[in-house]
Formats: sequence, structure tokens, C-alpha cells
Amino acid sequence: MNVQFKKGVLDLCVLALTAWEDRYGYELAVAMSSKFEVAVGSVYPLLNRLTQEGYFSTYLRESPEGPPRKYYKLTPQGHSHLMALITEWRSFSIAVDEIIKEGVER
Amino acid sequence: MSTNRAQYLQQLWDLLAPVPEGLRKEWMYDYEEHFRMAAAQGRSDAEAASELGDPRQIARELLLGYRVEEAARSGRISSVSRAVLTTVSMGFFNLIFVLGPYVALLAVIIALWAVVAALAVSSLFAIYEGLFGEAFNRVQGAFIAMTLIGLSMLAGAGMKVVTRGFMRMTVNYLKFNSRIIGGRAK
Repeated sequence: MNVQFKKGVLDLCVLALTAWEDRYGYELAVAMSSKFEVAVGSVYPLLNRLTQEGYFSTYLRESPEGPPRKYYKLTPQGHSHLMALITEWRSFSIAVDEIIKEGVER
Repeated sequence: MSTNRAQYLQQLWDLLAPVPEGLRKEWMYDYEEHFRMAAAQGRSDAEAASELGDPRQIARELLLGYRVEEAARSGRISSVSRAVLTTVSMGFFNLIFVLGPYVALLAVIIALWAVVAALAVSSLFAIYEGLFGEAFNRVQGAFIAMTLIGLSMLAGAGMKVVTRGFMRMTVNYLKFNSRIIGGRAK
């Protein structure tokens, strides 16, 4: 996928994945890297940045196998940030679609 | 734990030395967990390490986030400058588009602060000249000194606002910049 497309939406996507349930880092890293061709290793710094900015909080929860896992939970601030990003994304993607329809698919 | 995993984690730990230990442990947990999860799914430590990528790159990304956040919190010249330098270490693009303008504007700000200091210092000369010099008498000297001190205080207050604004602007740009370059390709 085009790098320029991808960069702007990584925050949005990783926040969106946690909207309904808390997820652990590995889950998020794998989900993001399978969809967007980002290196797994670069998802964790992204999660940490969003945590530092107050959009995620983290906690450890026991797992059936092995040591506890570190979960990422969307904070209220993260939730409203996510909603703002979605609104921006919607209007952006509608605008792009309109241009494509007008210019290409007529 | 294989040497591969231990080495990788140790290297990352060492590279993150500037970060306080508590936060560093919290970050490391993700990478330890990554190795554990990969192993649970039957992948070797070598495979897990290669999909994570170069620990130096990860450390750079983590440090960048940390420094920018620190700079945003404190707003001090030292921490903002550190954040700028970390950003610059991310690539050539930033050397030109971040460090250049930052150094230039910082130089202007320092020069203006020098003017503030010069105004303050010259008031002392006015007092000295009024007492012992020929150029003007004591009363004139006192008035000139007061005027100069007043000017320097006003200019200083103005410069404080300008400096704070410049630091905030820089931090905002760095945040924007780190979002742009974040998310390295596979």
C-alpha cells in the first residue's frame, strides 16, 4: 500500500481496533501489520506514543497460558480523539470518491 | 530463553537508557510479550526478532516519542532542543527541514535576549556615568538608568512570551512531523 496513504491513518486504525474491547499489544501489532504492511516492530512505538498522549491506558491481565498480558484500553480522551479522526476521515474519503467519480468513472 | 531473544532485549534496554526505568520497563514488556507470543505460535526467536526489526530503529522511534512528549510537558529550551536533535536523528529530511529553521530561529531569539541583557547592563553604566562621568549629571543619569531598566523589563517580558510561543510551536511541529514519519514500512 502507498506509504503516503498509510501514514496518516495508522493512529485512527489502531484506536479503532480498541473501540469496543481492550486488546493486548501483540494482537494489535499483528492486526495492523497484516492490513497495512507496517513492520510489526513499529506498531509498539505507536502504541506507546498514543499512551503518552493520554489516548490509551494500559494494564496487565492474567492469561490462561503464561505470564500476564499488557492490555491497551481506550481512555475517554482517546475515544473523543477517535471520533474526531473518523469524522475527518469520512469527509476526506467522500471528497476523494467524488473526485474519482467525476474525473474517471463518468 | 535463547541468546537471540536475550540479546535483542538487552540491546533494546541499553539503547533506551535515557528513559526513566519505570517507563522503560513498561515499554519493554511489549517486546518481551511479543517474543513469548511468537514462540507460543511456533515461531523461532530469530523470526520474531526479524519481524520486530532492528532494535536501534525501535529505540529511535520510542525515544522520539518520549522526547517530544517531555518537551511538550516542560517547554524548556533544553528539552525542546533535545527533541529536535532526536527528530533529526530520524533522517536526512529532518536535518534540513527541522534543524535548519530551528537553529536559525533559536539564534534570533538568543540575539534578542542579548539585547534585553544589554539594556539592563547599560543602565548600570548610566548610573556610573551620572555619578562619576562628565556626560550628564546625577539626576539625568538616574532618569536614563530608570528608562533603560524599564525598557529592558518590558522587552524581557515580551521575549518571555515570544520564547514560550516558539517552543510550543516547535513541539507542535515535531508532533506533526513524528506522526508523518511514524509507521515504518515492512
